[in-house]
Amino acid sequence: MESFLRTFSDQTINGLVIGNIYAFIAVGLALIFGVGNLINFAHGSVFMVGAYVGWVCMTWWNLPLAVAFVVVALVCALVGMAIERFALYPLRGAPPIAPLLATIGVSFMIDQAVQLLFSRNPHAFPNPLIEHRFQVGGVTVGAIDLLIAGVGVVAALTLYAFLRFTRWGWALRATAQDREAALQMGVNVNAVNRMTFAIAAALGGIAGLLVGMYFNTVYPTMSFQATFKGFAAVVLGGLGNVPGAVLGGLLLGLIESYGVAIFGATYRNLFAFVILIAVLVWRPDGLFSLKPRVAQEPLTGTFIAKGRPVPTPKWLIAPLIGVAFVLPILVPNPYLLQILTNAWLLGMVALSVTLVTGTAGQTSLGQAGFMAIGAYASALLVLRLGWPFELSMMAAASISAVLGTLLVFPAFRLRAAYIAIATLAIGEIVNQIILNWEGLTKGAMGIAGLPPPSFLGWQMIRPHEIYYFSLALLCLAALTQWRLVRSPLGRTWRSLREDEIAAQAFGVNLNRYKTLAFGVAAWIAGLSGAVTGHMYTYISHETFTNTTSILALTMVILGGMGNLLGAIVGAVTLTALPEVFRGLADYRYLVYGLTLLLVIRFRPQGLLGTD
Amino acid sequence: MSASNGQPLLQLKNIDTAYGPIQVHFDLNLHVHAGEIVCLLGGNASGKSTTMKVILGLVQPLRGTVLFDGRAITGLPTPQIVRLGIGSVPEARRIFAQMTVRENLLMGAYHRKDRRAIADDYERMLALFPRLKERLHQRGGTLSGGEQQMLAIARALMGRPRLICMDEPTMGLSPLYVDRVLALIQQINAQGYTIFMVEQNAHLALQIAHRGYVLQNGRIVMEGSAQALLNDPEIQDAYLGEKQ
Amino acid sequence: MALLEIRRVSRAFDGVLAVNEVSFQMDEGETVSIIGPNGAGKTTLFNLITGLDRPNEGDIRFDGESLIDLPPDAYARRGIARTFQHGRVFGNLSVLDNVLLGAHSRRRATQARSSFLHLARELFYGLFWPSSVRQEEQALRAEAEMILAQFGERLLPRLHQPAYSLSYANRRRVEIARALMLKPRLLLLDEPTAGMNPAETAEMLEFLHTLKARGQTILLIEHKLSLVMKLSDRVVVMDEGRVIAEGAPEVVRSDPRVIEAYLGHHRTGEGVAADEVAASQAPRAVVADFSEGAI
Repeated sequence: MESFLRTFSDQTINGLVIGNIYAFIAVGLALIFGVGNLINFAHGSVFMVGAYVGWVCMTWWNLPLAVAFVVVALVCALVGMAIERFALYPLRGAPPIAPLLATIGVSFMIDQAVQLLFSRNPHAFPNPLIEHRFQVGGVTVGAIDLLIAGVGVVAALTLYAFLRFTRWGWALRATAQDREAALQMGVNVNAVNRMTFAIAAALGGIAGLLVGMYFNTVYPTMSFQATFKGFAAVVLGGLGNVPGAVLGGLLLGLIESYGVAIFGATYRNLFAFVILIAVLVWRPDGLFSLKPRVAQEPLTGTFIAKGRPVPTPKWLIAPLIGVAFVLPILVPNPYLLQILTNAWLLGMVALSVTLVTGTAGQTSLGQAGFMAIGAYASALLVLRLGWPFELSMMAAASISAVLGTLLVFPAFRLRAAYIAIATLAIGEIVNQIILNWEGLTKGAMGIAGLPPPSFLGWQMIRPHEIYYFSLALLCLAALTQWRLVRSPLGRTWRSLREDEIAAQAFGVNLNRYKTLAFGVAAWIAGLSGAVTGHMYTYISHETFTNTTSILALTMVILGGMGNLLGAIVGAVTLTALPEVFRGLADYRYLVYGLTLLLVIRFRPQGLLGTD
Repeated sequence: MSASNGQPLLQLKNIDTAYGPIQVHFDLNLHVHAGEIVCLLGGNASGKSTTMKVILGLVQPLRGTVLFDGRAITGLPTPQIVRLGIGSVPEARRIFAQMTVRENLLMGAYHRKDRRAIADDYERMLALFPRLKERLHQRGGTLSGGEQQMLAIARALMGRPRLICMDEPTMGLSPLYVDRVLALIQQINAQGYTIFMVEQNAHLALQIAHRGYVLQNGRIVMEGSAQALLNDPEIQDAYLGEKQ
Repeated sequence: MALLEIRRVSRAFDGVLAVNEVSFQMDEGETVSIIGPNGAGKTTLFNLITGLDRPNEGDIRFDGESLIDLPPDAYARRGIARTFQHGRVFGNLSVLDNVLLGAHSRRRATQARSSFLHLARELFYGLFWPSSVRQEEQALRAEAEMILAQFGERLLPRLHQPAYSLSYANRRRVEIARALMLKPRLLLLDEPTAGMNPAETAEMLEFLHTLKARGQTILLIEHKLSLVMKLSDRVVVMDEGRVIAEGAPEVVRSDPRVIEAYLGHHRTGEGVAADEVAASQAPRAVVADFSEGAI
């Protein structure tokens, strides 16, 4: 009993300390959402920049801790202002999903830049504090715990004083409450926006520094986790609610800490994602709002620019397919074929994204989750039940369609940016379940020894064989989708993308048509996942990540939303580009991020136009 | 107060405005002299509120010029127009609901730097609006509609504007507060403030205004002294149907 | 039996009653207009009748059946179609597709008894395009073109243009065509002539007359009162959520309550009720409150 109590209080301290850091991240996100009505996906990247700047201050320059704090805050504030100025300010007046996608592009770029500068590997973070743990009434408290708590309290008080007692603080609050009224008081709301980014980024950077010190390590992938923990905390507290964000952060920290104590450390990340979805779906105003009401959401759910698709003459399709089919004969370069095979398989995922996001208007960032379901389903059917691949592949796609749709179903009532976050979280939940359901999936070990794809006795071992197979599947998927989107069903999907209210008034049952869109999309993505898994012969929870989901969406935006040929062109371009210019291979994600930013800014309808 | 030389304080010249394909204003011309109360009347969707937005720089006209004190202000950003001396009492009041009454008042002086004069004005507002003084530390959102309207007017006065634009100041108020607000407008006008107001309630607005314009489907169809408009039988037609 | 029956319907937003115990009925073939100043609750009432919003109290009956507990998509299936105040065409869909969507609830695929069958049918039809579906689609297409042809050369040449590229007046026409495509038993039009110039308005009036002559039941919200007077069998006047007058157009037009609702309250004019005169004297007393300090 006594040991239980001790564990309990230790976990509480632990949870509060981590929660304190989450609160830092969440407050920044809440400020940005409050002032700019923007969900900032680049926030975790700024957090990571803070951690690395802190690491540089302490290991390269041997600066005292206090100075490191100041440097981190300043550098991150500058980064935040730069993001606002160059990525978001030019998008004023664009549909609300555009700046959100732009922040995703920015986060890709920052993350890769940090990797290039400091390598992918973690660096040990020195702890400048005295390693001393205090015993206070049976509870163990370390110096770092006290530091984090202290910084947290000081930052909270400073922010409170700033918002309450300064001219700029008032301008910020006024802008957040009523942008147009603030303008009429003479507030320069653009400057307020930039300042908000600076403050949020400084807080995020300090959080990064604290996390580095707490876990004694910095690594590039800490960025994404931070973004999501921040989202979960902010959603818990109510989007745009600053005190709520603090409480949400602390609460998330505690839930995680107790959860880890009960279920084990590998479950740590699952809680945040599940909380995120649950709150978004059932209590979109957060836990602390007095009267729950539906959060305000923009009506248009996706990123559809006006403009008509670039006409693609029908006679061009056959020669294009022909070229793709004779290519392995003309250029029997296995490396090239491997790249193009990847492009075909990713092209299928892009097709599935263009169906839900482009045609049906539900911005999806969780498509890799469907791939993962397909890959694991096929692997297990083949390895455990001895099914032949051609059968397991079809079954896997169907399992992905059913499970995927069921997972997304609760999020159907969400729109626009919210469904983007929800689907991203769902993709992540799939990977967390794979990681933790060891009995079925072998957990972190992954599943090895998948037989290569085969079809009616044809074993696809050589590069050109799998090339043909995936090309055929891509053509089949494109044909299927083409028939669907040209049918009355496609018209109904587009109507709910354009205006859910008007569609509903004409008898369109929104849930059914979203089910159908996600079902078909998850089927195609699951099929691609199954083939990909067998091609790699090894899969784990890290094979199909959110990066793949975002990449697929980028391909679709590049090619033109809802445009089938566009999705394939986007897939080929983004897969091949970094390989064609060999020098670019190391800068792959920099290219992806930049592509996303530039397309959204300068050609929102994509290369081939939206359809 | 300047502009006693016959040049209007505010002048809209040949304004055409459109939201996308919908044209809202057709060659709109109107002016306000220093010291006047001028009201712009009109029924639903006649383009009244858009006129306010054009003056404040919140909507850019397709064509035409807005002159303030002889200077073209078309195309200037809103904060700059506010700094030039145009105060606003927005439609539906737009009080900062989460900020206290005191903070709301001081937000009205946001663009001013003269701290001492701001403090003086603040004291004056409290004297002028005893109800607000009692509620200084309440959040703006907790005030009644009439109190919020008082706060919105006081907030505009805090900016020491040379012209106050009021968008439907009596909308949604109880009859008692409608009368209070009108009396207040008349009173601050007597102190030398120039007022341009948009109103749907023609009879009430014309009782306190010097001059009025009637806007119908984006065109000025009548203008004249308040008395003349009040007595004009056609004003009823202008509201209840089109003039054929 | 009345086709549409609204019984003491109320809807509040944040404690404010947007629609306050409204009751009225309309018969098959009637044209009824709802008029009233901004914020009178007209559009809220439309949202309640079309299932996009739910009343807090009261009942809405259509052809004898209560609609209150039906899901929003069921309203269209019963033959209720509407247009929207500010226009809600599907911007990136072609004119033809916009109109065809009006027939959504008439399509065979949507007649399935369960959601599963419905989805399976849609998928099957979409993938394989059986000849029955092709024929249905062709028939609907012909019907849509017939409806569009009623607007003369306004829309027919623009059949394949995206709706966002249309003029405002044309978008309204597309919306009406989309609603007619439902073959509605009750057609609700929310300000069909908003943003139209006098010539276009006259054309729309003529069009609505034709519809009416064909026996179409129409519930209309409109601000252009001359149009309302010419078209309506009955007029319902709303102000601040309530029905303040109802009756034949000529009667309603000269009703003092209606004039007051539109023009505002007469405070010093002739024929003002005594209590209002008392209220109008209040300002003198109130001024004393304000005039303590100079501005």
